[in-house]
Amino acid sequence: MEDFLQRLVDGLSYGSVYALIALGLVIIYRGTGHLNFAQGEMALFSTYCVYQFGEWGIPVWIALVLGMGVGFAVGAVSEVALVRPISKKSPFAVFVVTLGLFTFLNWLDGAIWGGQQLPSSAMGSTQLRFPSLFPAEADALWNVFGVAIRQERVGILAMVLVISGLLYLLFNRTTFGLAMRAVASNTESAKLVGIRTNVVLMVSWGLAAAIGTVGGVVMAGLNSNVNLGLMFTVFIYGSAAATLGGFDSPGGAVVGGLIIGVVENMAAGYVQDWIGQEMKLAVAFLVILGVLLVRPSGLFGTAKVERV
Amino acid sequence: MKSLITIRQGSAANWALRLAVTAIVVLVVLWVPRQGGGLITTTIEALTLMSAAMALNLVLGYAGQISIGHSAFLGVGAYTTGIMVSRWGLSPWVTFPVAFVIAFVVGVIVSFPASRIKGVYLALVTLALGLVFPYLLTWKKLAWLTGGGAGLPNADSEVATTGFDIGLAKKGKMQFFEVFGWDPFGDLRKPEAKAAFWYWIALVVAVVVYVVCRGIVKSRVGRSLVAIRDNETAAAVMGVDLVRTKALVFGVSAGLCALPGCVIAIKTGGVSPEGILSLTVRGAITFLIVMVIGGAGSLWGPVLGALLYTFVTDKTGEWADDAAIPGVLRPIFSWAQIPPADGMFAILLIVLMFVAPHGIAGTWRQYSHRVVRIVPRPAGAVGSAPTAAPSGPH
Repeated sequence: MEDFLQRLVDGLSYGSVYALIALGLVIIYRGTGHLNFAQGEMALFSTYCVYQFGEWGIPVWIALVLGMGVGFAVGAVSEVALVRPISKKSPFAVFVVTLGLFTFLNWLDGAIWGGQQLPSSAMGSTQLRFPSLFPAEADALWNVFGVAIRQERVGILAMVLVISGLLYLLFNRTTFGLAMRAVASNTESAKLVGIRTNVVLMVSWGLAAAIGTVGGVVMAGLNSNVNLGLMFTVFIYGSAAATLGGFDSPGGAVVGGLIIGVVENMAAGYVQDWIGQEMKLAVAFLVILGVLLVRPSGLFGTAKVERV
Repeated sequence: MKSLITIRQGSAANWALRLAVTAIVVLVVLWVPRQGGGLITTTIEALTLMSAAMALNLVLGYAGQISIGHSAFLGVGAYTTGIMVSRWGLSPWVTFPVAFVIAFVVGVIVSFPASRIKGVYLALVTLALGLVFPYLLTWKKLAWLTGGGAGLPNADSEVATTGFDIGLAKKGKMQFFEVFGWDPFGDLRKPEAKAAFWYWIALVVAVVVYVVCRGIVKSRVGRSLVAIRDNETAAAVMGVDLVRTKALVFGVSAGLCALPGCVIAIKTGGVSPEGILSLTVRGAITFLIVMVIGGAGSLWGPVLGALLYTFVTDKTGEWADDAAIPGVLRPIFSWAQIPPADGMFAILLIVLMFVAPHGIAGTWRQYSHRVVRIVPRPAGAVGSAPTAAPSGPH
């Protein structure tokens, strides 16, 4: 029972990170129909920025907000300067550009902050570990039914639920959310009724990257450091979450992320012989493959009707 | 557009041009191993990279199926050689056909989901495959075969320096490479002889991959691949068997991609998940960048792309250290803490997508006729000279 609860909580907190990445993917997919391969690396860049702000002595929550601002700018600029002009050519061109962005951002992180893990005392970091958003000390525990649950994990889950709630309000209760839904359902018609689709798409990409920043910071906090490979696997888990939930369903992304997080942790914990830590990623791979083969629209997505 | 020089196909000038190009290529190929040292090592890298990129080109450039998982096929090749030589003591020569067959089967299996999953979703699946593959190699249930996280180092300390050099896996055997009494390399334990030997293996593999790709592209299968890329539904209507054609192209592409893997295993002298960068997902992304920069859907594209990529990466490899940067460029690159090659190629990739989406080879095809135009022989006029040279762009 204790193992079960521990694994559940661990799974939910990692699942929260996947949910955040998946949310970013879904927001972009709904607006433009593109799969943003650079989602993880955009988040990684702003996560490095949060580390840098921390080095300058800025408290972590303020650093997070500043980092989200940086993320927003990176996402918005990418959309306006690269993705929008190239999307007139072909979907393959968009794919190559997002992949180029992926490589470029990863290189840029390395060029600015070096290839090693950060914080590192050899590089003169003043921080001892990557700042955690919630109390992460060994004694920051809550006792639930006799099981010690780390406050950090609960805090992360709560934060993701709050973010999802805010996004729900944004999509469903504001004029801008209405415009976003209009663009998602039919860009041409949205343009005709006077919605500035360019602004909507730009903000969608910015928003996606800003949400990704939260995911990156939480992941680096759980990992206690940030490095160049941090978001590779997280991106795959996030994509698996978006696939499972349905690429056009924000609610599905959150549910999908939490399910993937719990399933992979349970699988790694209970089937140690066969899956264990090293084959956790195979769970994500099988989920992507299985869902795309059996039910391409995912759990909550709308099935696409193809016109020949 | 008037071109500077017009050459009729099959004329003496055309043959002279072909002969000159062939002569230059042959001379360069023969000249490289004489230089030794850094140049030969870089060229071996370029040859393995271009083989992998050519294999990827079949699937991506011609058939239009996005794959970011080809590193896994290369890894299958590397591990086939590793396992067969170091565990079972077989000759590395045997491993090439075996690696091709195993990777072919894997490729065919991968093609089945590919016949249902399309576009970027296929990219996602193959990316996941590329990321999972190195973990699969470290999986403890497979450790009896793959050696787990440590991989398969050379068992023999004397061999450790020479790698899986032909036959050296078995001590004392075949330190020389002889064909019918002809011994071109001398003692293979010497570094120069070894480098030259690897160079020729890598070159033969690259040529084989090129010839197979060319054969497929110029055949009926090649035309059905292009038809699938341009419009899958239309291709099916025209009688292309989608499932079988995709299975074939994925199989052949995977099999060909395994061959440079064998070369890398022979050269590295041991295989491990971290030891060979090309078998991680970064490798797959590199193949893709090389192929797109060189020219997707063109036979020479990956060759040009791989040469450019390898030599630029090699030249700028030391640039993390500011003192190594040439004076003029120092202010531009000195801030970067890692070599600039990856960033430069990422920018080049994005810029090319805007200005020249068909890469270097495509741009050459588009503009070369302003300098030299080779006028094809009119159909049906075999043997007889055409009465009037056709004019205007073809």
